[in-house]
Amino acid sequence: MRVIIVDDELLARAVLREHLAAYPDVDIVGECANGFEAVKAIAELAPDLVFLDIQMPKLDGFEVVELAAAKAQYVFVTAYDQFALRAFEVHALDYLLKPFSRERLEQALAHARARLGSPQALAVASGAVAAAQEAAQRRTPLERILIRDGARVQVIPAAQIDYIEAQDDYVQVVAAGKGWLKSQRLAELEEQLDPGAFLRVHRSYIVSLAAIERIDPSGKDGHCAVLRGGARIPVSRSGYQKLKELMR
Amino acid sequence: MHGTISRWYAALLYLLAWLMLGLATSALLAAGGAGWGASLLFAVPLAIVYANATAFSAYYVCRAYPIRQKHPAAIVGGIGMTAACAAALWCAIGSAWAALLREFAPSGMFLELDAARLLTMFALGVILYGLAAAVNYLLIEAERVRRLETQELETRLMAQDAELRMLRTQVDPHFLFNSLNSISALTSIDPAAARAMTLRLADFFRHSLGMHADRKVPLERELALVRDFLAIEQVRFGERLRFDAEATPEACACLVPPMLLQPLVENAVKHGIGQLIEPGTIRIRAQRAGSLLRIVVENDVDPDAVPARGAGVGLENVRRRLAAAYGIDASAHWGREEHLFRVELALPAETGDIEAKQEA
Repeated sequence: MRVIIVDDELLARAVLREHLAAYPDVDIVGECANGFEAVKAIAELAPDLVFLDIQMPKLDGFEVVELAAAKAQYVFVTAYDQFALRAFEVHALDYLLKPFSRERLEQALAHARARLGSPQALAVASGAVAAAQEAAQRRTPLERILIRDGARVQVIPAAQIDYIEAQDDYVQVVAAGKGWLKSQRLAELEEQLDPGAFLRVHRSYIVSLAAIERIDPSGKDGHCAVLRGGARIPVSRSGYQKLKELMR
Repeated sequence: MHGTISRWYAALLYLLAWLMLGLATSALLAAGGAGWGASLLFAVPLAIVYANATAFSAYYVCRAYPIRQKHPAAIVGGIGMTAACAAALWCAIGSAWAALLREFAPSGMFLELDAARLLTMFALGVILYGLAAAVNYLLIEAERVRRLETQELETRLMAQDAELRMLRTQVDPHFLFNSLNSISALTSIDPAAARAMTLRLADFFRHSLGMHADRKVPLERELALVRDFLAIEQVRFGERLRFDAEATPEACACLVPPMLLQPLVENAVKHGIGQLIEPGTIRIRAQRAGSLLRIVVENDVDPDAVPARGAGVGLENVRRRLAAAYGIDASAHWGREEHLFRVELALPAETGDIEAKQEA
């Protein structure tokens, strides 16, 4: 079983490594000290099981799951987090509370082994993704958008976003003239962004209010928003109403 | 009131006031044509008798007609009725006293209690009773205000104590459990370090549990607590956490509210160092500038990190505690510049002579 340990504390990694050394079938293929490294390692090393700390620099454990997606099984490791614990219970996810006993770790390993290669593993992995989505809900309004770009993670602060465009199953987030694709629905993103700073002006567009330079008429009684940088975003009739109300 | 002695003083003063009233009445009687001796002999004992009667009854009547709860008409009626009864009784006693004096006193030492004098006496009785009632109301009100003040003081003290207790338990549970996890790891890797960490943890909790809300501590002690805390966190974070404290001896001697810096340093670890991949430093500077004690706590932060939610609560807490302890004489400011988060505190420099003597 290929295992990755993710924790920003050296000693926390050491205690896991020490315990896992007792199991000949466990092969520790990577150790990561922060979320960026974890996303990269999970993408490149394709582990079966990830021991994942929740509180870490740059990205927390849930954000790692959100970005690395449902490829591995996760065992969350945390010291104390009421919200996380409830999420683990709801989605029947395995977790270890620091400090944990050898027996508790053995249980988690046994679960993972039993599910390895079975359809159950997929169900559990999707549970982890669901828990990660709930965690994202708790952080609303979103202050940054995380996008995985191969093995790299792009962090886009909400304040830098110009607009977001829906494209099939993806959204394209445009900031400072560059665009990044993220697999998420526009409606979901709309819910998570600060409603005071972003507005859905069209079925396929969310714009940052701070980025709007002016509203131009376009076509027959249509409008479009001209943003900093010159992008022209179509504004639907209901979007125009919402804009007018905001300006009043 | 404070014990029996002040009660005695109060009673004596009260009697003295009535004695004066008796003398004043005598003077009026004397001015009205009666002899001085007769006037004094008649009026002074009666005044003293009436003093005792009103002293006891007026207090209870006032209690029975609380000024804030009864209708004013009811109060005037109630007091008026009682006053009339008391005055009538007084007149009866007065008549009896006059008759007694006429019988036994030498001639010239008694006076005729005619209808006009009796009426005056009745009126005087009613007025004096009213006066006694008014004085009683005043005393009751004063006592009520005093009691409210003590109550307020007590609740404020209790609130302060509760807040400190909360702060103490607010020592982040993460801190405790993560520390225990570090100890769990060290027991096999480095047992001596595990033992040292347990001792540090014990020291930290002993120090923080020993603090009382109403007792300020020398900055030196608060810094010792912070050092204990950071020594433990340094075991967890290793090279990532650096700490640097500079406090002048004059600043160290100043008194500060207990657990003032601890939450700031905890924030600095959690939201600053804990979010950094590279090593970061927490710096504390304290110096005394005349009558002010200035403390700066700053830490490196990840410039990409969005400002953490929840960090503001701890900071607001510190500001509120300073305001509660010093009012407008203290201030707390904080802000972030690129890769630095800084909190600046300014508070009156108080040195505890008493504490210093105790420690010497």
